[in-house]
Amino acid sequence: MWSFALARLAGVLGLAVLLGLIFGQLWLWLLGLSCLYAAWQLIDLYRLDRWLSTRPKTDPPDMGGVWGGVVAQIVRLNRRKRFHKQRVLSLLRELRRSTAALPDGVIILSRHREIHWFNPPAGRLLGLKRGLDIGLRIDNLIRNPEFVKYLHGERFAGPLVIRPPKPGECYLSIQAVPYGAGQILMLVRDVTRQMQIEAMRKDFVANASHELRTPLTVISGYLDTLAEDPGVDPAWAGPIHDMRSQTQRMTLIIGDLLELSRLESTEGEAVRDPVDTGALLARLHRDALARGDRPAQVELSIESADGLFGSARDIESAFTNVLVNALKYTPATGSVHMRWWSDAGGAYFSVADTGIGIPEEHLPRITERFYRVDPGRSREQGGSGLGLAIVKHALQLHGGQLDVHSVEGKGSTFTCEFPLVRVWRRPERAVAEAAAQSAPRAKSA
Amino acid sequence: METADLTHHISRRFNEDLEKVRSQVLQMGGFVEQQLQKAITALVEGDGRLGEAVATEDYKVNGMEVSIDEECSRILATRSPAAGDLRVIVAIIKTITDLERIGDEGEKIGMIASRLASMERPPDKYRSVKHLGRLVGQMVHDALDAFARMDAQSALRTVRDDKAVDEEYESIQRQCMTFMMEDPRSITRVMEIMWVVRAMERIGDHAKNICEYIIYMVHGTDVRHTSLEDVALQLASAQNNRR
Repeated sequence: MWSFALARLAGVLGLAVLLGLIFGQLWLWLLGLSCLYAAWQLIDLYRLDRWLSTRPKTDPPDMGGVWGGVVAQIVRLNRRKRFHKQRVLSLLRELRRSTAALPDGVIILSRHREIHWFNPPAGRLLGLKRGLDIGLRIDNLIRNPEFVKYLHGERFAGPLVIRPPKPGECYLSIQAVPYGAGQILMLVRDVTRQMQIEAMRKDFVANASHELRTPLTVISGYLDTLAEDPGVDPAWAGPIHDMRSQTQRMTLIIGDLLELSRLESTEGEAVRDPVDTGALLARLHRDALARGDRPAQVELSIESADGLFGSARDIESAFTNVLVNALKYTPATGSVHMRWWSDAGGAYFSVADTGIGIPEEHLPRITERFYRVDPGRSREQGGSGLGLAIVKHALQLHGGQLDVHSVEGKGSTFTCEFPLVRVWRRPERAVAEAAAQSAPRAKSA
Repeated sequence: METADLTHHISRRFNEDLEKVRSQVLQMGGFVEQQLQKAITALVEGDGRLGEAVATEDYKVNGMEVSIDEECSRILATRSPAAGDLRVIVAIIKTITDLERIGDEGEKIGMIASRLASMERPPDKYRSVKHLGRLVGQMVHDALDAFARMDAQSALRTVRDDKAVDEEYESIQRQCMTFMMEDPRSITRVMEIMWVVRAMERIGDHAKNICEYIIYMVHGTDVRHTSLEDVALQLASAQNNRR
């Protein structure tokens, strides 16, 4: 193409030279034919420009030579661009359609918590209006105080369950996921059904345990009488003893179940009564020392005068269960060490034992109900399998958590951690007084 | 359309101040709404502890009112807003008074709920009271939504809803009187219920007031003590002027 164009230029110049040689005035001929050539090129350029400015309505102009090549290139580029554009568009449309078809609500929030985009289910679940609400701050529309607190929190730990703005029996689970430069992707799900099932389960457990308690009391009452009745055949002594110990175990399990369902049904956070943990632990320590089957060493060190703000009953329940657990799984020659201390981050109660320990793979699951590391051994110990679940729930109500370290065969350390807001700061002077008061009492006991 | 106006200020801080105080009002509204829902639940389900909790939490509403009020005075003093912005501030100052009253009525319902929890429950399980409660709850919710969206049209619709609340209130009142005549032993309980429905009717009125402030804030026309037809006409002409 280019060689053809060059040949054509050469041909024009050659013709000019030829005509100049024949008719004389060579320069004039050269100038004239060059001008003609330039005009011809200009006309082509003009047609190209016209076509480009009216594209894509008309067909490309039919041009030969270099300009024809350029036109073909432009057409090819256009076709490729249109193809890519179509592909991106259809991809975008597909994406829009699929997010719109999601059964869960999706909302995109800007850095300032303004609504950027939402799909129809989100609009339906939260009562957002398509035209009006884009650009509005979401906490102006969803005004539930828990939601507002969750939205302005620094980290979005787990999903939050709220009652939606519209009145009625309905629950929504909301999960915020931060992405990009502070934007938030918010997922909204209708969890009414799950919440109803959960409520039914809790009610069932509470009612069933409550109903079982009365017949059990009657049975254990008769068994106690039978055990002491001299008229009963001595051959029955063994079975009666077994039956008594099993009814005792069942009473224990039902007691724990009731305690757990009480903790579960407590809404929101625990109350904020001042609790003197030092005195509480001293009492638990005395009780532990009074047990017949305890390990050789049971120690208590109280390193802080601080107490807790919370429910005395729940805290005692949690501490007792952690302690009893340690006592149960530590051999008679081992030791159990209780420790209470506080620092700038909160307050802590830990129980370290030299017992059998827990294999690492079981650690994440030990706070589940009825989860047993070694089923045979635990039943022998007579536990209900609910102790650590009670601890976990009691701590959760206080905003705290349970931390477990364990080495199999060497021992375990259970630490109850309480956040700063729950710590009742007391000056050191009070601890000295408390110690002075508790010392003579310990002696007399 | 009016929210866009809030972004037109030369001083960005002024915008932020206005937006912040608006959000505070809506958060206060959200809390009041929740208090009201809880109080109604406490009454209908006979949950005395929840009722008491509502009554003791009311101090938070008062605290919010005071802090928003101070913020508004500060804006008035330092920015001397004019026209639309001034209307926003004035409407906010009035709105929070009504919200605080709604909170007080909620506290009253909660207190009565905790007293009623220990009494015998009527055979209809407070169904009609629950219905009225839902109506006024929806009204408060719609009023706050209209406030968030600066939506005068839906504010006007909410003003209309107050009629349904008034009718329901009257019918419950008549019902209560029949109960008392039929069984004089129930008078103590029914009197308490009368207080509850009275409080709910008042809440409906406060929600209506808030809607009127919204119309004032958006269009600058005062629609208090005007018949609804006139209000609709005024709104229509205001919108025509805008175009």
